[in-house]
Order: sequence, then C-alpha cells, then structure tokens
Amino acid sequence: MPNAILDPTGGAGPALASAPDGAPGGALAPRRADLAGARVGLLVNTKQNADLFLAEVGRLLVERHGAASVLARTKVNFAQPAPEDLLKELTTECDVVITGIGDCGSCSASAVTDGVLLECRGTPAAVICSDAFRGSADAIAGLRGAPGYRYATTPHPVAVLNPDQVRDRAAAVLPDVVALLVAAAGAS
Amino acid sequence: MPGSARLDPDLAQLAIEHCYEQDWSDGLPLVPVSQPLLDRFLAQSSRGPQEIIGSLEQVGRECTVELAAINAAMAGCRPEYFPVVLAAFEALMLDRAARGGGFQSTSGPAPLIVVNGPVRGELGFNAAGGAFGPGFRANATVARSVGLIVRNVFGIKPQVLEQATQGLPGRWSICIAENEEESPWEPLAAEAGLPAGTSAVSATLLRTCEFVDNRHTQDPQQVLWDFADTISRTGALIFKETSCGVVFCPEHAQLLAGAGFTKNDVKDWLIEHCGRTQAELRRAGKDGVSENHVRFAADEPGVGESGGGFTRILPSRQHVPVMVAGARNAAISMVVRVFGLWSGTPVAVETRADAAAAAS
Repeated sequence: MPNAILDPTGGAGPALASAPDGAPGGALAPRRADLAGARVGLLVNTKQNADLFLAEVGRLLVERHGAASVLARTKVNFAQPAPEDLLKELTTECDVVITGIGDCGSCSASAVTDGVLLECRGTPAAVICSDAFRGSADAIAGLRGAPGYRYATTPHPVAVLNPDQVRDRAAAVLPDVVALLVAAAGAS
Repeated sequence: MPGSARLDPDLAQLAIEHCYEQDWSDGLPLVPVSQPLLDRFLAQSSRGPQEIIGSLEQVGRECTVELAAINAAMAGCRPEYFPVVLAAFEALMLDRAARGGGFQSTSGPAPLIVVNGPVRGELGFNAAGGAFGPGFRANATVARSVGLIVRNVFGIKPQVLEQATQGLPGRWSICIAENEEESPWEPLAAEAGLPAGTSAVSATLLRTCEFVDNRHTQDPQQVLWDFADTISRTGALIFKETSCGVVFCPEHAQLLAGAGFTKNDVKDWLIEHCGRTQAELRRAGKDGVSENHVRFAADEPGVGESGGGFTRILPSRQHVPVMVAGARNAAISMVVRVFGLWSGTPVAVETRADAAAAAS
C-alpha cells in the first residue's frame, strides 16, 4: 500500500464567520417596499473617487426616492472588513447601507464582506464594485457563506474619472442599487 | 546505474499529475509529499505541527507549521531548508502590506527574501553570481514555498482572490543571500540589531526590481546620481512618498565605501537627492496629493504640495534598505522597489542545535 499524497491546503475550511454569533452569512436582511423615509448609510472605503461616488448615490436616493437622511462613514483600512463598532453604528443609525467602491484586489473582496456582514446584522446593503473585480467579489461571497450574493457594478475604471463623470456613474448605477435594497415587486 | 534503475519515472509522473489536478500548483511540477517526507521536515524544527505561524483575517485562513512544511516539501525544498522557510514566512508576515491586501493586490507584488549568516554556506544559498537566480535549489525553493503557502493555505489564487493586473517576473522566486564576505558594510541582519553571526531572514514585498548598470565612473556622486534617476521615476510613484531599496553589487558597494560612505551615508544621500520637481510630477499627472496621500492630477499647479520646487520622496532611512549581493565581476546593482514598507525586523533561523535541545 503506497503512502497517501498529502493535501497542502488544510481542507476547504468552514465558511468565515459573518454573523455576530459566529455563524456564516447567507441570509439577506428583510427588504423594505421602497426607500421613502429611509435613513441611508454610506460606508466609504477611501479608494479614489469612492467618497464622491457614494455621496452622489446618497444624494440621489434622497432626491429621487424620498430617503430621509444620509450618514457617511469611512473605514480606514480598505483591505479589511469594517470593524465591529462601525458596523454597529451603521446598523443602528441606518435602514440601508451602500458600500464601496470595490476597485482593487483586496477592497473588492472586503466591500462584499461588509455587505454580507451588514445583511447578517439585519440591514440591507448594496455593494458597488468595479466590473473588473467580479472574480474576487464572487469568491469572497462564497467564503463568507453567501455564494451568489448580488452586488452592483460600475464599469472599470473609476479612479481616473473627473467629478462630473463620477456623478454620471452614480446616476447610472442608481437603479441597480435601489433594486438591491428593496423587495422585488410582487414578492411577499 | 544501480541507483536510478530502481526509480519509477512513470509512477512519479502520475503523482505529479495528481498534484496538478488538485489545483495545488503554481504552474510548475510539484514534489508529491508523503507522511515520511513531511516527518523529516517537521523534525527540523522544535515547533509543534499545529502551531500557527501566520493568519490572514480577511480570508479567514491560518497557516500551521505542518501546512508550511507540506508546501515547502512540494516546492522542492530539502528538509533542512525548513527552518529558513519558517523564518522567511514569519519575516514576510511582519510586513504590514503582506498582512493587509498585498497578496490580493492588482500590483501582484513579489516577496524579497534576504538570508544572512552561516546558514547561507551550510545550506548552499547563493550570495554571489546570479544572486537573483535562477540556478540554486535553496534560493529557488524557499521563495517558491512562500508562494505555495499563499496559494494553498491562504487560498489566494490568480484571477480569483488574487487580482494581479500583470504580475511580475520573479514573483515567488526572489530569495537572495547577502554577500557578507564581499560587502564593506555590516550585514542587513546585524544592522537591524541581531548579534553578528546569527542566521536570519528578512523579507518584504516588492513592486519590481530594476538594474542600474554604471561601469562608467569612479566618482561616487555620479554613481549615486545614476541610482537616484531610477529610484525617482514617476511611473513608480503612487503616493506622496515611497520606499525603495538597493541591492548593491560588491563593486558599487566597495566604490562607495572606499570614498568614505557608510550605509547610512548612502541612505541619507538618496533621501536628499531622490525626488522630482513639481513640474515633472505635473507632466505625469501626479502633482496633487490627496488627504490619504494618494497622488492625482491636480486641476491647478501647486495644489497639495508646498511650493513648486523639488519634492523628496524617501522620508526616512527605514524607507531605503541597503544590502549587498552578486558577483564582483561588474558594476551592476539592483534597485528594489518596496510595495509597502520593510518592517526592519529580521527573523532568526532556528538552528539544528536549537531544535535538538527542544526535542531532548
């Protein structure tokens, strides 16, 4: 009987903890019928143009969809998931949260992670990634126990856009963001 | 050939193909690892197989001594290299960028691993001709081990969680031994505070390496200006400041030392002279500096910078690691462009005596 060939990976491993109780993610937070009166949170990841992009999305949600307010917060380390105190503030103070821009290898993954973490804590999230980072975004959703987690994309690149172009991008992605945050028409 | 006649190449090929099919390979053939081989690796260290030597929070993975050993064996290491692999991995994980998003980055950075001390000679690490490789088993396989750990243990694979735009030649293959014997300066590990004669490994992530060929002058200022030009190129400048080291060949190092330059004198000279004028930065669309220190094309000249003059880019000696490697046959050195910031902390290599004492 020959020796077995050893596995160098340590196995696939359990899905990463996403919920506060250590459970993996996967369940979406309950959706509202619409965004009228909703308190919108922005989780800005410091990537170039992320602040303006998300601020414009927030502004348009107020102007066009009747959202009540916008609360912007910045996470310092774009490569890592948002810290627990920041998640707690956003889930306490906001009804829905927009995160992004997933515009690099590590920050696309961590933006999706933030979305899954927010959903587990009961707050609907809309993650915005550059469309060049779907591979990384989809992979981390699987690791976080939420395979197939849906997010919005904006065409690559984002960092080099001027302010008017960023506002145009925000307007373009707005319908997808709204669709991610509200219950589908006819759904119970 | 009584020895090789007993070996079965057909069985070996099947095992190698099995490893490819499991998606464990970096593209090159792997050594299939069995328990007896793993045991020989583990016997080289006093550390327990389940001891955790590094973790990456954002992907939820931890590397144990045993997993590191399997990957080192797969990479082609001899068992006695394993303490160097452990030190190299530990040294790399001291780099903040490696613990952050470095392995996932679009820039696809490569570890630079530097070996100091007697372990170089004992295990056959090349410090002289062709220091950046290829051709030497210890150098090549220690570097490859780190790449396989990132791929297999952390689960960061190209085009998935690893998003390198182009990557770079030499990723997972840059492990140099310092040429302490022909260096006029103290070795990197000693400079960082370890006792002389300690075997140790230092590591950081690199964006790339770029040669400086100056066999043209004996004037140390002219030589250093040639380095300053490569170090100061705008294409490499992403942030307000940068970090950039030099692996000097013995000839350049001896020329500078002969003119009275200590290592710190070289660093200070480069800190003083590396940089660009505001006009040059503006020409490349990198004259503005945002609140988070990222450069951008400013609308108006002078935005985000003090004055319009010369902007220095290397803020401190820690940002300019200096070491010596290569042959003394030409004045050709390597500028090594650091991705984040070298921790400045070498990790001592556990010796066989250490491991034996712990086992007894």
